[in-house]
Amino acid sequence: MIDWSPLILTFKLAVITTFLLLLISIPLAYWLAYTKLKIKPIIETLVSMPLVLPPTVIGFYLLIAFSPSNSFGEWLHEFLGLQLVFSFEGLIIASIIYSLPFMVHPIQSGLSNLPASFLDASSVLGKSNLNTLFKVLLPNIKPSLLTGIVLAFAHTIGEFGVVLMIGGNIPGKTKVASIAIYDEVEALNYATANTYSLILFALSFCILLTVYLINGGYLKQIYK
Amino acid sequence: MNILKGEIENIKVSGSLSLVHINVLKTRISAIVIDTPKTEPFLKIGNNIDVVFKETEVIIGKGIHHNISMQNKFIGNILSIESRDLLSKLVVNTSVGKITSIITTNAVKQLELEIGTEVTAMVKTNEIMLSE
Amino acid sequence: MIEIAIHKKLKAATGEMLLDINTTIEQGSLVTLYGKSGVGKTTILRILSGLLKPEKGKIIVNGTTWLDTEKGINLKPQKRKVGFVFQDYALFPNMTVKENLQYALNKGENSKIVDNLIQIIELDELQNRKPETLSGGQKQRVALARALVQKPSILMLDEPLSALDSEIRFKLQQYIIKVHKEFKLTTILISHDVSEIIRMSDTLFEIEHGKIIRRGKPNEVFKYKELNAKFQFTGDLIEIEKQDFLYILTIRIGKDLVKVVADESEGKMLTVGDKILVASKAFNPVIHKIS
Repeated sequence: MIDWSPLILTFKLAVITTFLLLLISIPLAYWLAYTKLKIKPIIETLVSMPLVLPPTVIGFYLLIAFSPSNSFGEWLHEFLGLQLVFSFEGLIIASIIYSLPFMVHPIQSGLSNLPASFLDASSVLGKSNLNTLFKVLLPNIKPSLLTGIVLAFAHTIGEFGVVLMIGGNIPGKTKVASIAIYDEVEALNYATANTYSLILFALSFCILLTVYLINGGYLKQIYK
Repeated sequence: MNILKGEIENIKVSGSLSLVHINVLKTRISAIVIDTPKTEPFLKIGNNIDVVFKETEVIIGKGIHHNISMQNKFIGNILSIESRDLLSKLVVNTSVGKITSIITTNAVKQLELEIGTEVTAMVKTNEIMLSE
Repeated sequence: MIEIAIHKKLKAATGEMLLDINTTIEQGSLVTLYGKSGVGKTTILRILSGLLKPEKGKIIVNGTTWLDTEKGINLKPQKRKVGFVFQDYALFPNMTVKENLQYALNKGENSKIVDNLIQIIELDELQNRKPETLSGGQKQRVALARALVQKPSILMLDEPLSALDSEIRFKLQQYIIKVHKEFKLTTILISHDVSEIIRMSDTLFEIEHGKIIRRGKPNEVFKYKELNAKFQFTGDLIEIEKQDFLYILTIRIGKDLVKVVADESEGKMLTVGDKILVASKAFNPVIHKIS
């Protein structure tokens, strides 16, 4: 019997990360889609950085930033009681940063592809921007939202470098599935590694397939 | 286009048609229009209006006595004639002003029209348009 | 009465352009903005509705200041009572026709106006359909109805009819005139179509390069003689042929070509491409049933 705790921990991390990412990404994507400020390309670049940087780079800097031996980490610890290095909370923050582009990009492009007149029309009809966002804009970019949610979820499940750097490898606390697989391989327990891998593979496959089916409109056709 | 200026003297309405009498230099011109004072506010007795009709709608009769249904008859002398293969353009100096008429050149020949000939220029009631 | 004085620098295809409009609009009138594309017509509507801010300007609508850059007043679009029909209609795809109309209601507002508008603009059969299933003309009607839910002081229509074929267009012109009168609106409309303008508007602003170059009644601006002829069309002059002292004009009216004979004095003043009003007494045409 395999140890299920790395898998459970992975899903817990993915669910929380995805949820928090959604909350952060909607306003961020909205701002990116509509702002005319000159600072926009810089923010866009920062959001996209995790796509190109080796995960270990992000992990390394987060490790330095969160370390209690530096002033920011100390401040977090003193005033918020947060210990972000080698903790589950730290993993969540790292995952959010790491998966940010996977959530922001689909939502931003969904919003940008909506006719600009939607926002104008809604304003002229006397509705606040917030009202417009929830009643008009978001309901019309459901496929983009789904894509963002699923990609962020799947990407969080698959991360390795960042969690290894910042989370360490504490069983039941920061030892997620991808790290567990690495451990098992190191210990030459290929059978266990295979089980974990297979589960992750099957799961990722199912998740992505769902997105393509829904966004490709196949589900609509099947259930018609 | 022939455009004459006049004053509405009388309007007789029947259904959606009106028969309008216009006084142009003391000569009465009749026009029938698909309008009534209700649908067209400028149809009001005493209003100054333009009487408009096309040159090709002006019929020319030689002499002054014509037993004919035409209501709008203007007697005058021919001021100029310009003849081409098929059509001729006549300007007649009448009591309501100069009226231009385009008729066939054959008709000019048949009636032996020349400059100075006394003629009657005639326009059917339903060919006349009114304009503010 | 609406007083408008606005200045805004615009980037046009031909370089920088200064939009400089200073005019008044009578309450209850139907005004058309006429001019080539890119002369600033849409920008004027966007500034009036508050979607765009001019560098300098003042907009006073029936005594209420909507914009006064000197005093730092700039009401948000939400606070201005305007109805706007966008060129692409901007109907929300996630809502049915009725929901689109209801969306425009203020919180807690009686929805009677929605039912009322559905009646007037004859949307009964469409009210539960989604916008994507509607034809262009139907979408246009829904957009018109939605713009009226808030009982605007000004109704603005940005080339509302340009994408529609002539038959539906005519019907929609009737709807617009109907609601304009029924709701006692002040309506501002952008149009390129001369016959549409003649049929609909009281006042015409011809705009060129960001400025009003002519204003007045359509017949004053287009300088044609208003005849009481019932058989009258506007068209484009596509050919002029001189024959003796006559001119034979070929004119495109809608999809049809017609020929009209004109006198020398009229023909001389015309060139190909001119917009022309063709009028005749209703007594002259003969008719044949063809189907």
